[in-house]
Amino acid sequence: MNKDFHCYATYCAAILAGFSHEESAAIGYSSQMVDLCTRTMLTKLHGPLSAATTQLQLELMDARTDIIGLQDITRIWASFHFLPGDLYADPGKKCSKKYLNKYRLICNPNSDLLEKTVRLAKDKSLQAAGLAMHVLADTWAHRYFAGTPSLVINNTNYHFYEFIQGENGETTRKVNFRHSPSAPDEPEISAYTNTVSYNKEKSIMNLGHGRAGHLPDYCFAKYKYLPAWAEYEEIVKDNPKDYFNAFCQMIYALKFLHGDISSFEHSHYDTEAVKPYEDDIRRILNTTQLDSTADWRELGKRLSGYELNEIDVAKLEKEYTDAEEDKKDDTFLGRFFIAAMNQKSMVTNQIYKSGNKLAGYSIDFKTKGFKGIRDFRKLLDKKGGGKNE
Amino acid sequence: MSKFQRVRSFLAGLGLILLALILLISPESGIIIVAAIISFSMLFYGFRTLWFYATMARHMVGGKSFLYQGIIVLDIALFTIGLIQMSKFLIMIYLMGVYAFSGAIDILRALEAKKNGSPSWNMKLISGCIRVAATIALFIIGIFFRESSVLIYGYCINLGYAAVMRFINAFRRTAIVYIQ
Repeated sequence: MNKDFHCYATYCAAILAGFSHEESAAIGYSSQMVDLCTRTMLTKLHGPLSAATTQLQLELMDARTDIIGLQDITRIWASFHFLPGDLYADPGKKCSKKYLNKYRLICNPNSDLLEKTVRLAKDKSLQAAGLAMHVLADTWAHRYFAGTPSLVINNTNYHFYEFIQGENGETTRKVNFRHSPSAPDEPEISAYTNTVSYNKEKSIMNLGHGRAGHLPDYCFAKYKYLPAWAEYEEIVKDNPKDYFNAFCQMIYALKFLHGDISSFEHSHYDTEAVKPYEDDIRRILNTTQLDSTADWRELGKRLSGYELNEIDVAKLEKEYTDAEEDKKDDTFLGRFFIAAMNQKSMVTNQIYKSGNKLAGYSIDFKTKGFKGIRDFRKLLDKKGGGKNE
Repeated sequence: MSKFQRVRSFLAGLGLILLALILLISPESGIIIVAAIISFSMLFYGFRTLWFYATMARHMVGGKSFLYQGIIVLDIALFTIGLIQMSKFLIMIYLMGVYAFSGAIDILRALEAKKNGSPSWNMKLISGCIRVAATIALFIIGIFFRESSVLIYGYCINLGYAAVMRFINAFRRTAIVYIQ
């Protein structure tokens, strides 16, 4: 998903869930911030490096692929962009533990981890709500791929077709993948950029949906392909349908965070709130365009009466850097960093507890005290326990 | 990282330092040692590819290619072990390729960091420029003057760097704290 959905559609969902324009804007911007908060940005702001929620392309190329580097990559991508669907999944065949661990990181919607993610944001900041919405939405867009570099899970091959709606109904067209990052995608001829095929299990080229290019991120895309892990079974990915589910689920989740619903369970969608706008939303999702920001923005204006401006990252950075040391955590970015570390800490803990070390080690403060990366002391300070340690 | 992984990382660092020292003490025969290391690494890689097929790739669509790849690499590795004495030129090309690629990546990272306003871009740029300059120097010295000892010194620096990274990893705090 791109900023059109993560920022503007999330804003619409927040308005429909009962948040005010200002609150919804903060939620939308926070959801988009997940795609912007890199180590490069945190270094510039002297922020906690453990709060990184994404990695720039060159950060990835520069990343070490030793065990620490891989665990770091997995923590970032599995926590925020490829939330595992089932940490105890059984592939239904005899396989090595190494394979099983990778298989269990495949992203899918409606997981226990999603419930934990949304509940974690309850009674926290708007930034935490926005971050949770990013994670939720990506479970639909990025399903069937894992947030760890893995050839045996994330690879795709030449069998990749896009469904095209024409006058004679639905037809298929072979996707023409190219490897030039500067070449724009051309949906009218099904030409998309993807990562190069690289036969190394832990190559960064095999992280997430890199091998499928940006297709999972486009709301209009409907395609079929052979995922590396599915025993030659074809998967049909219907983004317009999945994105619609994501939108309805976001409203349901945001109503829970707003306090209108007492509990959040997976597989629930608020289709009622969407009903008056369903045709508009489906039209946006089915329109073949690389960026649907203008359409979502227009819908947002109809819903709230306000036009949502582009996120002003420089302004947010200035607010953070200008704030006094003890007030930094109360700024927009300060709250976002706390929410990011909370989410990363929770997801890493769940993966670790399932017996899977791909995201690294997790130490439960309650039983072992504070041992580990110092950045996380911020979470302890927030709980009021840091001073006594 | 587990305790075992930390100990392994520390021992690997020691091994790399030892290797760098041997190369520094005897740079004349160094290129043969490097050639032997690369050839045996290829042999190891062949076995590892077969192991990867057995444990992972056999579940993957198109995974059989790893079986063939492993067999072919093993074959080539055995062949190159027999030609260690004659592979000087290829080793030079290999080392230059490694320097040039890592230098280019460093420069690109530095430019990106600068564009994003990060203060730590200049060290990356310097290290990238040094690596690219080293590649050019190695090209001139190695290809035109057939002098291999400079290549060995460059290789030793890389080994030293890798060793330091392993020492750092062995003592680094890596665990994520979970606070309920």
